[in-house]
Amino acid sequence: MSEALKQSLDISMFWEYRAVFLEGLTFNCLVFLCSAVVALSVGLGAALLRINRLWPMRWIGTLHVEVFRNAPDYIMLVWVHFVLPLLIGILIRRRVEFHPFLSAVLALGLVYSGYFAETFRAGIQAIPQGNLDAGRAFGMSERLILWRIALPQVVRRMLPEALNLFVSMFKATTIVSLIAVPDLMYNVSMVIQQEMRPLPLYSGAALTYFLIILLLSSGVRLFSERWRRKILA
Amino acid sequence: MGEIPRIRIADVHKSFGPLEVLRGVSFDVHRGSVVSVIGASGSGKSTLLRCVNYLEPPSSGEVYIEGEPLGSRIDGRGQRKPRSLAEINAMRRELGVVFQQFNLWPHMTVLGNVIEAPIRVRKLPRKEAIAYGEECLRRVKLIDKLSEYPARLSGGQQQRAAIARALAMRPKAMLFDEATSSLDPELTDEVLGVMRELAADGTTMIVVTHEMNFAHEISDRVIFLHQGVIEEEGSPAEIFGAPKSERLRQFLSKYRK
Repeated sequence: MSEALKQSLDISMFWEYRAVFLEGLTFNCLVFLCSAVVALSVGLGAALLRINRLWPMRWIGTLHVEVFRNAPDYIMLVWVHFVLPLLIGILIRRRVEFHPFLSAVLALGLVYSGYFAETFRAGIQAIPQGNLDAGRAFGMSERLILWRIALPQVVRRMLPEALNLFVSMFKATTIVSLIAVPDLMYNVSMVIQQEMRPLPLYSGAALTYFLIILLLSSGVRLFSERWRRKILA
Repeated sequence: MGEIPRIRIADVHKSFGPLEVLRGVSFDVHRGSVVSVIGASGSGKSTLLRCVNYLEPPSSGEVYIEGEPLGSRIDGRGQRKPRSLAEINAMRRELGVVFQQFNLWPHMTVLGNVIEAPIRVRKLPRKEAIAYGEECLRRVKLIDKLSEYPARLSGGQQQRAAIARALAMRPKAMLFDEATSSLDPELTDEVLGVMRELAADGTTMIVVTHEMNFAHEISDRVIFLHQGVIEEEGSPAEIFGAPKSERLRQFLSKYRK
Protein backbone atom coordinates (compact mmCIF):
# COMPACT_ATOMS: atom_id res chain seq x y z
CA MET A 1 0.00 0.00 0.00
CA SER A 2 1.34 3.41 -0.86
CA GLU A 3 2.26 5.73 1.97
CA ALA A 4 -0.29 8.34 0.89
CA LEU A 5 -3.16 5.89 0.94
CA LYS A 6 -2.08 4.48 4.28
CA GLN A 7 -2.07 7.98 5.71
CA SER A 8 -5.45 8.88 4.36
CA LEU A 9 -7.04 5.81 5.89
CA ASP A 10 -5.42 6.34 9.26
CA ILE A 11 -8.23 7.86 11.22
CA SER A 12 -6.44 8.08 14.57
CA MET A 13 -6.27 11.85 14.11
CA PHE A 14 -10.05 11.91 13.74
CA TRP A 15 -10.30 10.05 17.02
CA GLU A 16 -8.08 12.66 18.75
CA TYR A 17 -10.60 15.34 17.97
CA ARG A 18 -13.61 13.22 18.89
CA ALA A 19 -14.97 15.67 21.47
CA VAL A 20 -15.16 18.51 18.93
CA PHE A 21 -16.67 16.23 16.33
CA LEU A 22 -19.23 14.82 18.69
CA GLU A 23 -20.35 18.35 19.42
CA GLY A 24 -20.69 18.94 15.69
CA LEU A 25 -22.62 15.72 15.26
CA THR A 26 -25.10 16.89 17.89
CA PHE A 27 -25.82 19.84 15.63
CA ASN A 28 -26.44 17.49 12.70
CA CYS A 29 -28.91 15.59 14.83
CA LEU A 30 -30.61 18.77 16.02
CA VAL A 31 -30.92 20.15 12.50
CA PHE A 32 -32.20 16.77 11.37
CA LEU A 33 -34.83 16.48 14.10
CA CYS A 34 -36.13 20.02 13.74
CA SER A 35 -36.27 19.91 9.95
CA ALA A 36 -37.97 16.50 10.13
CA VAL A 37 -40.72 18.09 12.21
CA VAL A 38 -41.06 20.90 9.66
CA ALA A 39 -40.96 18.50 6.70
CA LEU A 40 -43.57 16.15 8.17
CA SER A 41 -46.06 18.79 9.27
CA VAL A 42 -45.72 21.03 6.21
CA GLY A 43 -45.69 17.91 4.02
CA LEU A 44 -48.92 16.61 5.54
CA GLY A 45 -50.51 20.03 5.06
CA ALA A 46 -49.44 20.14 1.42
CA ALA A 47 -50.70 16.58 0.85
CA LEU A 48 -54.11 17.50 2.26
CA LEU A 49 -54.19 20.52 -0.06
CA ARG A 50 -53.27 18.28 -2.99
CA ILE A 51 -56.34 16.10 -2.43
CA ASN A 52 -58.71 18.92 -1.48
CA ARG A 53 -62.06 19.16 -3.22
CA LEU A 54 -61.47 22.80 -4.23
CA TRP A 55 -59.18 23.31 -7.17
CA PRO A 56 -57.44 26.48 -5.86
CA MET A 57 -56.36 24.44 -2.83
CA ARG A 58 -55.13 21.61 -5.02
CA TRP A 59 -53.28 24.15 -7.11
CA ILE A 60 -51.47 25.63 -4.08
CA GLY A 61 -50.56 22.13 -2.93
CA THR A 62 -49.15 21.21 -6.33
CA LEU A 63 -47.20 24.46 -6.52
CA HIS A 64 -45.68 23.75 -3.12
CA VAL A 65 -44.62 20.24 -4.06
CA GLU A 66 -43.14 21.26 -7.41
CA VAL A 67 -41.25 24.28 -6.06
CA PHE A 68 -39.60 22.51 -3.17
CA ARG A 69 -39.09 19.09 -4.68
CA ASN A 70 -37.36 20.55 -7.71
CA ALA A 71 -35.06 22.91 -5.83
CA PRO A 72 -31.57 21.60 -4.94
CA ASP A 73 -31.16 21.75 -1.16
CA TYR A 74 -27.87 23.64 -1.58
CA ILE A 75 -29.55 26.50 -3.44
CA MET A 76 -32.58 26.49 -1.15
CA LEU A 77 -30.28 26.84 1.84
CA VAL A 78 -28.42 29.80 0.40
CA TRP A 79 -31.66 31.36 -0.77
CA VAL A 80 -33.43 31.00 2.58
CA HIS A 81 -30.41 32.31 4.45
CA PHE A 82 -29.54 35.30 2.29
CA VAL A 83 -32.49 36.23 0.06
CA LEU A 84 -35.52 35.46 2.20
CA PRO A 85 -34.46 37.83 5.06
CA LEU A 86 -33.99 40.61 2.48
CA LEU A 87 -37.50 40.06 1.09
CA ILE A 88 -39.06 39.98 4.55
CA GLY A 89 -36.99 43.07 5.44
CA ILE A 90 -38.45 44.98 2.52
CA LEU A 91 -41.97 43.89 3.47
CA ILE A 92 -41.77 44.96 7.11
CA ARG A 93 -39.26 47.79 6.51
CA ARG A 94 -36.77 46.49 9.01
CA ARG A 95 -33.43 44.78 8.79
CA VAL A 96 -33.94 41.05 9.21
CA GLU A 97 -31.32 38.37 9.68
CA PHE A 98 -31.85 34.65 10.12
CA HIS A 99 -29.84 32.63 12.59
CA PRO A 100 -27.98 30.00 10.52
CA PHE A 101 -29.65 27.24 12.51
CA LEU A 102 -33.10 28.61 11.64
CA SER A 103 -32.21 28.92 7.97
CA ALA A 104 -30.89 25.37 7.93
CA VAL A 105 -34.02 23.95 9.51
CA LEU A 106 -36.33 25.97 7.27
CA ALA A 107 -34.47 25.14 4.05
CA LEU A 108 -34.14 21.41 4.66
CA GLY A 109 -37.62 21.19 6.16
CA LEU A 110 -39.19 22.87 3.13
CA VAL A 111 -37.26 20.90 0.52
CA TYR A 112 -38.18 17.61 2.16
CA SER A 113 -41.77 18.69 2.80
CA GLY A 114 -42.16 18.50 -0.99
CA TYR A 115 -41.12 14.84 -0.96
CA PHE A 116 -43.10 13.97 2.15
CA ALA A 117 -46.22 15.60 0.70
CA GLU A 118 -46.11 13.16 -2.20
CA THR A 119 -45.50 10.20 0.10
CA PHE A 120 -48.39 11.22 2.33
CA ARG A 121 -50.66 11.78 -0.65
CA ALA A 122 -49.93 8.40 -2.16
CA GLY A 123 -50.48 6.81 1.24
CA ILE A 124 -53.80 8.53 1.81
CA GLN A 125 -55.04 7.70 -1.67
CA ALA A 126 -54.09 4.04 -1.23
CA ILE A 127 -56.61 3.63 1.59
CA PRO A 128 -59.73 1.90 0.29
CA GLN A 129 -62.66 4.31 0.14
CA GLY A 130 -64.82 1.82 2.03
CA ASN A 131 -62.56 2.12 5.03
CA LEU A 132 -63.32 5.83 5.24
CA ASP A 133 -67.00 5.25 4.43
CA ALA A 134 -67.18 2.97 7.47
CA GLY A 135 -65.97 5.86 9.62
CA ARG A 136 -68.54 8.21 8.12
CA ALA A 137 -71.30 5.67 8.52
CA PHE A 138 -70.64 5.58 12.27
CA GLY A 139 -70.88 9.34 12.52
CA MET A 140 -67.15 10.09 12.74
CA SER A 141 -66.15 13.61 11.72
CA GLU A 142 -63.69 14.14 8.87
CA ARG A 143 -61.06 15.12 11.44
CA LEU A 144 -61.55 11.95 13.46
CA ILE A 145 -61.38 9.90 10.27
CA LEU A 146 -58.10 11.57 9.32
CA TRP A 147 -56.43 11.08 12.70
CA ARG A 148 -57.86 7.73 13.77
CA ILE A 149 -58.40 5.87 10.51
CA ALA A 150 -56.43 7.39 7.64
CA LEU A 151 -53.13 8.53 9.17
CA PRO A 152 -52.36 5.42 11.25
CA GLN A 153 -52.64 3.38 8.05
CA VAL A 154 -50.79 5.95 5.96
CA VAL A 155 -47.87 6.00 8.38
CA ARG A 156 -47.49 2.23 8.19
CA ARG A 157 -47.77 2.18 4.43
CA MET A 158 -45.32 5.01 3.83
CA LEU A 159 -42.75 3.84 6.35
CA PRO A 160 -40.24 2.21 3.96
CA GLU A 161 -40.26 5.23 1.69
CA ALA A 162 -40.18 7.66 4.60
CA LEU A 163 -37.15 5.86 5.96
CA ASN A 164 -35.30 6.48 2.70
CA LEU A 165 -36.28 10.14 2.85
CA PHE A 166 -35.03 10.41 6.42
CA VAL A 167 -31.69 8.90 5.39
CA SER A 168 -31.29 11.43 2.55
CA MET A 169 -32.33 14.14 4.94
CA PHE A 170 -29.74 13.18 7.50
CA LYS A 171 -27.06 13.18 4.83
CA ALA A 172 -28.30 16.54 3.60
CA THR A 173 -27.67 18.04 7.04
CA THR A 174 -23.96 18.11 6.11
CA ILE A 175 -24.52 21.08 3.80
CA VAL A 176 -25.51 23.35 6.68
CA SER A 177 -21.77 23.88 7.29
CA LEU A 178 -21.99 26.19 4.25
CA ILE A 179 -23.81 28.82 6.26
CA ALA A 180 -21.64 28.26 9.32
CA VAL A 181 -23.84 25.99 11.40
CA PRO A 182 -21.12 24.28 13.50
CA ASP A 183 -22.01 20.72 12.50
CA LEU A 184 -19.63 17.79 12.09
CA MET A 185 -18.48 18.79 8.59
CA TYR A 186 -17.93 22.37 9.71
CA ASN A 187 -15.77 21.25 12.61
CA VAL A 188 -13.89 18.84 10.37
CA SER A 189 -13.09 21.71 8.00
CA MET A 190 -11.90 23.82 10.90
CA VAL A 191 -9.57 21.08 12.14
CA ILE A 192 -8.31 20.51 8.60
CA GLN A 193 -7.27 24.14 8.41
CA GLN A 194 -5.19 23.59 11.54
CA GLU A 195 -3.76 20.17 10.84
CA MET A 196 -3.50 20.35 7.04
CA ARG A 197 -4.39 16.66 6.77
CA PRO A 198 -7.75 16.54 5.02
CA LEU A 199 -7.78 12.93 3.87
CA PRO A 200 -7.85 11.01 7.17
CA LEU A 201 -10.23 13.55 8.63
CA TYR A 202 -12.67 13.24 5.75
CA SER A 203 -12.39 9.46 5.89
CA GLY A 204 -13.25 9.58 9.56
CA ALA A 205 -16.26 11.79 8.92
CA ALA A 206 -17.46 9.51 6.12
CA LEU A 207 -17.14 6.47 8.35
CA THR A 208 -19.03 8.21 11.15
CA TYR A 209 -21.97 9.13 8.90
CA PHE A 210 -21.98 5.69 7.36
CA LEU A 211 -22.15 3.91 10.71
CA ILE A 212 -24.78 6.17 12.22
CA ILE A 213 -27.11 5.94 9.24
CA LEU A 214 -26.62 2.21 8.86
CA LEU A 215 -27.30 1.53 12.54
CA LEU A 216 -30.26 3.87 12.86
CA SER A 217 -32.01 2.85 9.67
CA SER A 218 -31.61 -0.89 10.19
CA GLY A 219 -32.76 -0.41 13.77
CA VAL A 220 -35.88 1.45 12.67
CA ARG A 221 -36.56 -1.05 9.91
CA LEU A 222 -36.27 -3.98 12.30
CA PHE A 223 -38.56 -2.35 14.81
CA SER A 224 -41.14 -1.11 12.29
CA GLU A 225 -41.45 -4.09 9.99
CA ARG A 226 -43.27 -6.35 12.43
CA TRP A 227 -45.57 -3.55 13.47
CA ARG A 228 -46.26 -2.75 9.82
CA ARG A 229 -46.83 -6.32 8.71
CA LYS A 230 -49.57 -6.91 11.24
CA ILE A 231 -52.08 -4.87 9.24
CA LEU A 232 -51.20 -6.11 5.78
CA ALA A 233 -52.96 -9.21 4.67
CA MET B 1 -101.05 5.22 10.69
CA GLY B 2 -100.53 5.09 14.45
CA GLU B 3 -96.90 4.30 15.20
CA ILE B 4 -94.11 6.46 13.75
CA PRO B 5 -91.95 4.21 11.56
CA ARG B 6 -88.35 3.61 12.69
CA ILE B 7 -87.19 4.53 9.20
CA ARG B 8 -89.26 6.23 6.55
CA ILE B 9 -87.86 6.56 3.05
CA ALA B 10 -89.87 9.19 1.22
CA ASP B 11 -89.64 9.63 -2.53
CA VAL B 12 -85.87 9.28 -2.67
CA HIS B 13 -84.26 10.14 -5.99
CA LYS B 14 -80.57 9.84 -6.77
CA SER B 15 -78.77 10.85 -9.95
CA PHE B 16 -75.14 10.64 -10.89
CA GLY B 17 -74.86 13.20 -13.66
CA PRO B 18 -77.35 12.24 -16.34
CA LEU B 19 -77.79 8.76 -14.84
CA GLU B 20 -80.86 8.44 -12.65
CA VAL B 21 -80.20 5.50 -10.35
CA LEU B 22 -83.16 5.96 -8.00
CA ARG B 23 -86.38 7.37 -9.40
CA GLY B 24 -88.58 7.91 -6.39
CA VAL B 25 -88.44 5.15 -3.80
CA SER B 26 -90.68 5.22 -0.71
CA PHE B 27 -91.24 2.69 2.04
CA ASP B 28 -91.44 2.42 5.83
CA VAL B 29 -89.54 0.15 8.18
CA HIS B 30 -91.28 -0.36 11.49
CA ARG B 31 -89.64 -1.12 14.79
CA GLY B 32 -88.49 -4.72 15.02
CA SER B 33 -89.26 -5.54 11.43
CA VAL B 34 -86.98 -6.80 8.68
CA VAL B 35 -87.29 -5.41 5.18
CA SER B 36 -85.32 -7.11 2.41
CA VAL B 37 -84.49 -5.34 -0.82
CA ILE B 38 -83.91 -7.59 -3.81
CA GLY B 39 -83.26 -6.85 -7.46
CA ALA B 40 -80.76 -7.35 -10.25
CA SER B 41 -77.32 -5.74 -10.21
CA GLY B 42 -77.69 -2.11 -11.19
CA SER B 43 -81.27 -1.90 -9.95
CA GLY B 44 -80.16 0.68 -7.36
CA LYS B 45 -80.26 -1.52 -4.23
CA SER B 46 -76.88 -0.53 -2.87
CA THR B 47 -77.32 3.11 -3.81
CA LEU B 48 -80.61 3.09 -1.94
CA LEU B 49 -78.89 1.83 1.19
CA ARG B 50 -76.13 4.42 0.85
CA CYS B 51 -78.82 7.10 0.52
CA VAL B 52 -80.55 5.92 3.69
CA ASN B 53 -77.60 7.01 5.82
CA TYR B 54 -76.51 9.81 3.53
CA LEU B 55 -73.20 8.25 2.46
CA GLU B 56 -74.77 9.34 -0.83
CA PRO B 57 -77.04 12.30 -0.14
CA PRO B 58 -80.29 11.81 -2.09
CA SER B 59 -80.80 14.22 -4.99
CA SER B 60 -84.33 14.75 -3.69
CA GLY B 61 -86.65 13.15 -1.20
CA GLU B 62 -85.89 12.55 2.43
CA VAL B 63 -85.11 9.85 4.95
CA TYR B 64 -86.72 10.03 8.40
CA ILE B 65 -85.44 8.30 11.50
CA GLU B 66 -88.29 8.07 14.00
CA GLY B 67 -89.96 10.98 12.29
CA GLU B 68 -86.83 13.15 12.31
CA PRO B 69 -85.60 14.11 8.81
CA LEU B 70 -81.97 13.02 8.40
CA GLY B 71 -80.79 15.54 5.85
CA SER B 72 -82.77 18.60 6.85
CA ARG B 73 -84.49 20.15 9.83
CA ILE B 74 -87.34 22.53 10.38
CA ASP B 75 -86.08 25.83 11.77
CA GLY B 76 -87.88 28.21 14.13
CA ARG B 77 -89.92 29.76 11.33
CA GLY B 78 -91.14 26.43 10.06
CA GLN B 79 -88.73 26.46 7.11
CA ARG B 80 -86.86 23.39 5.97
CA LYS B 81 -83.08 23.85 6.20
CA PRO B 82 -80.41 21.38 5.08
CA ARG B 83 -78.41 19.99 7.98
CA SER B 84 -74.68 20.59 8.34
CA LEU B 85 -72.30 17.65 8.01
CA ALA B 86 -71.89 17.56 11.80
CA GLU B 87 -75.65 17.27 12.28
CA ILE B 88 -75.90 14.56 9.64
CA ASN B 89 -73.09 12.74 11.47
CA ALA B 90 -75.09 12.92 14.67
CA MET B 91 -78.13 11.44 12.90
CA ARG B 92 -76.40 8.69 10.95
CA ARG B 93 -74.78 7.15 14.02
CA GLU B 94 -78.27 5.81 14.78
CA LEU B 95 -77.92 3.46 11.81
CA GLY B 96 -75.47 0.55 11.93
CA VAL B 97 -74.06 -0.30 8.53
CA VAL B 98 -72.55 -3.60 7.42
CA PHE B 99 -70.74 -3.37 4.10
CA GLN B 100 -70.20 -5.96 1.41
CA GLN B 101 -66.42 -5.53 1.75
CA PHE B 102 -66.50 -5.57 5.59
CA ASN B 103 -64.40 -2.39 5.71
CA LEU B 104 -62.84 -3.20 9.05
CA TRP B 105 -60.03 -0.86 10.04
CA PRO B 106 -56.93 -2.97 9.48
CA HIS B 107 -54.71 -1.19 12.00
CA MET B 108 -57.00 -1.94 14.93
CA THR B 109 -57.70 -5.25 16.61
CA VAL B 110 -61.20 -6.71 16.43
CA LEU B 111 -62.06 -5.18 19.80
CA GLY B 112 -60.41 -1.92 18.74
CA ASN B 113 -62.70 -1.80 15.71
CA VAL B 114 -65.74 -2.48 17.87
CA ILE B 115 -65.07 0.14 20.56
CA GLU B 116 -63.70 2.91 18.31
CA ALA B 117 -66.95 4.65 17.38
CA PRO B 118 -68.65 4.15 20.78
CA ILE B 119 -65.66 5.86 22.46
CA ARG B 120 -64.95 8.58 19.89
CA VAL B 121 -68.45 9.33 18.66
CA ARG B 122 -70.78 8.28 21.47
CA LYS B 123 -68.18 9.40 24.06
CA LEU B 124 -68.72 6.25 26.09
CA PRO B 125 -66.18 5.65 28.89
CA ARG B 126 -63.60 3.14 27.69
CA LYS B 127 -64.50 0.54 30.30
CA GLU B 128 -68.16 0.62 29.37
CA ALA B 129 -67.36 0.48 25.67
CA ILE B 130 -65.17 -2.58 26.20
CA ALA B 131 -67.81 -4.34 28.29
CA TYR B 132 -70.52 -3.75 25.71
CA GLY B 133 -68.13 -4.44 22.82
CA GLU B 134 -67.35 -7.84 24.32
CA GLU B 135 -71.06 -8.54 24.63
CA CYS B 136 -71.50 -7.71 20.94
CA LEU B 137 -68.59 -9.98 20.02
CA ARG B 138 -70.19 -12.74 22.04
CA ARG B 139 -73.39 -12.27 20.06
CA VAL B 140 -71.53 -12.83 16.79
CA LYS B 141 -69.50 -15.67 18.38
CA LEU B 142 -66.15 -13.97 17.92
CA ILE B 143 -65.18 -13.32 21.51
CA ASP B 144 -62.11 -15.56 21.21
CA LYS B 145 -60.70 -13.38 18.40
CA LEU B 146 -61.02 -10.02 20.08
CA SER B 147 -57.30 -9.24 20.06
CA GLU B 148 -56.63 -10.44 16.51
CA TYR B 149 -56.03 -8.05 13.62
CA PRO B 150 -58.52 -8.25 10.73
CA ALA B 151 -55.86 -9.50 8.31
CA ARG B 152 -55.63 -12.72 10.33
CA LEU B 153 -59.36 -13.50 10.14
CA SER B 154 -61.37 -15.36 7.50
CA GLY B 155 -63.92 -13.41 5.46
CA GLY B 156 -66.79 -14.75 7.52
CA GLN B 157 -65.08 -13.80 10.75
CA GLN B 158 -64.30 -10.34 9.42
CA GLN B 159 -67.93 -9.82 8.47
CA ARG B 160 -69.11 -10.98 11.89
CA ALA B 161 -66.65 -8.55 13.47
CA ALA B 162 -68.11 -5.82 11.26
CA ILE B 163 -71.60 -6.74 12.48
CA ALA B 164 -70.40 -6.52 16.09
CA ARG B 165 -68.85 -3.13 15.31
CA ALA B 166 -72.21 -1.87 14.05
CA LEU B 167 -74.12 -3.36 17.00
CA ALA B 168 -71.77 -1.71 19.48
CA MET B 169 -73.19 1.69 18.56
CA ARG B 170 -76.63 0.49 19.78
CA PRO B 171 -78.19 1.61 16.50
CA LYS B 172 -81.91 2.11 16.00
CA ALA B 173 -81.67 0.00 12.85
CA MET B 174 -79.10 -2.11 11.03
CA LEU B 175 -78.43 -1.77 7.31
CA PHE B 176 -76.89 -4.76 5.53
CA ASP B 177 -75.43 -4.10 2.09
CA GLU B 178 -74.99 -7.50 0.43
CA ALA B 179 -73.25 -8.70 3.56
CA THR B 180 -72.45 -12.13 2.14
CA SER B 181 -71.77 -11.32 -1.51
CA SER B 182 -68.00 -11.28 -1.23
CA LEU B 183 -67.80 -14.44 0.88
CA ASP B 184 -67.03 -17.97 -0.23
CA PRO B 185 -70.21 -20.07 -0.19
CA GLU B 186 -69.03 -22.11 2.81
CA LEU B 187 -68.59 -18.90 4.82
CA THR B 188 -71.94 -17.28 4.08
CA ASP B 189 -73.84 -19.51 6.52
CA GLU B 190 -72.03 -18.29 9.60
CA VAL B 191 -72.87 -14.68 8.68
CA LEU B 192 -76.48 -15.45 7.73
CA GLY B 193 -76.80 -17.32 11.02
CA VAL B 194 -75.82 -14.21 12.97
CA MET B 195 -78.23 -12.07 10.94
CA ARG B 196 -81.00 -14.60 11.53
CA GLU B 197 -80.45 -14.33 15.29
CA LEU B 198 -80.48 -10.54 15.16
CA ALA B 199 -83.80 -10.64 13.31
CA ALA B 200 -85.21 -13.08 15.86
CA ASP B 201 -84.12 -10.72 18.67
CA GLY B 202 -86.27 -7.98 17.18
CA THR B 203 -83.55 -5.89 15.52
CA THR B 204 -84.91 -3.45 12.96
CA MET B 205 -83.13 -4.27 9.70
CA ILE B 206 -82.92 -3.33 6.06
CA VAL B 207 -81.24 -6.15 4.20
CA VAL B 208 -80.01 -5.79 0.63
CA THR B 209 -79.31 -9.31 -0.51
CA HIS B 210 -78.93 -11.84 -3.30
CA GLU B 211 -79.79 -14.73 -0.97
CA MET B 212 -83.42 -15.35 -1.92
CA ASN B 213 -84.01 -18.21 0.50
CA PHE B 214 -82.64 -16.12 3.30
CA ALA B 215 -84.79 -13.12 2.36
CA HIS B 216 -87.81 -15.40 2.20
CA GLU B 217 -87.10 -16.79 5.64
CA ILE B 218 -86.28 -13.70 7.72
CA SER B 219 -88.19 -10.82 6.10
CA ASP B 220 -91.44 -9.28 7.21
CA ARG B 221 -91.57 -7.44 3.93
CA VAL B 222 -89.73 -7.79 0.64
CA ILE B 223 -89.12 -5.01 -1.86
CA PHE B 224 -88.22 -5.75 -5.46
CA LEU B 225 -86.35 -2.90 -7.03
CA HIS B 226 -86.12 -2.56 -10.79
CA GLN B 227 -84.38 0.30 -12.60
CA GLY B 228 -84.57 2.60 -9.60
CA VAL B 229 -88.23 2.14 -8.68
CA ILE B 230 -90.14 -0.34 -6.54
CA GLU B 231 -91.59 -2.76 -9.06
CA GLU B 232 -93.32 -4.90 -6.51
CA GLU B 233 -93.49 -5.24 -2.75
CA GLY B 234 -95.23 -7.48 -0.29
CA SER B 235 -94.86 -10.23 2.26
CA PRO B 236 -92.28 -12.94 1.48
CA ALA B 237 -95.15 -15.31 0.70
CA GLU B 238 -96.57 -12.88 -1.87
CA ILE B 239 -93.24 -11.97 -3.45
CA PHE B 240 -91.78 -15.45 -3.66
CA GLY B 241 -95.01 -17.44 -3.79
CA ALA B 242 -97.17 -15.38 -6.10
CA PRO B 243 -95.15 -12.74 -7.94
CA LYS B 244 -97.46 -10.46 -9.91
CA SER B 245 -95.15 -8.68 -12.33
CA GLU B 246 -93.43 -10.34 -15.24
CA ARG B 247 -90.10 -8.76 -14.27
CA LEU B 248 -90.15 -10.22 -10.78
CA ARG B 249 -91.06 -13.64 -12.20
CA GLN B 250 -88.13 -13.40 -14.60
CA PHE B 251 -85.79 -12.24 -11.85
CA LEU B 252 -86.81 -15.04 -9.49
CA SER B 253 -86.58 -17.71 -12.17
CA LYS B 254 -82.84 -17.02 -12.45
CA TYR B 255 -82.45 -18.00 -8.81
CA ARG B 256 -84.58 -21.12 -9.03
CA LYS B 257 -82.42 -22.87 -11.58
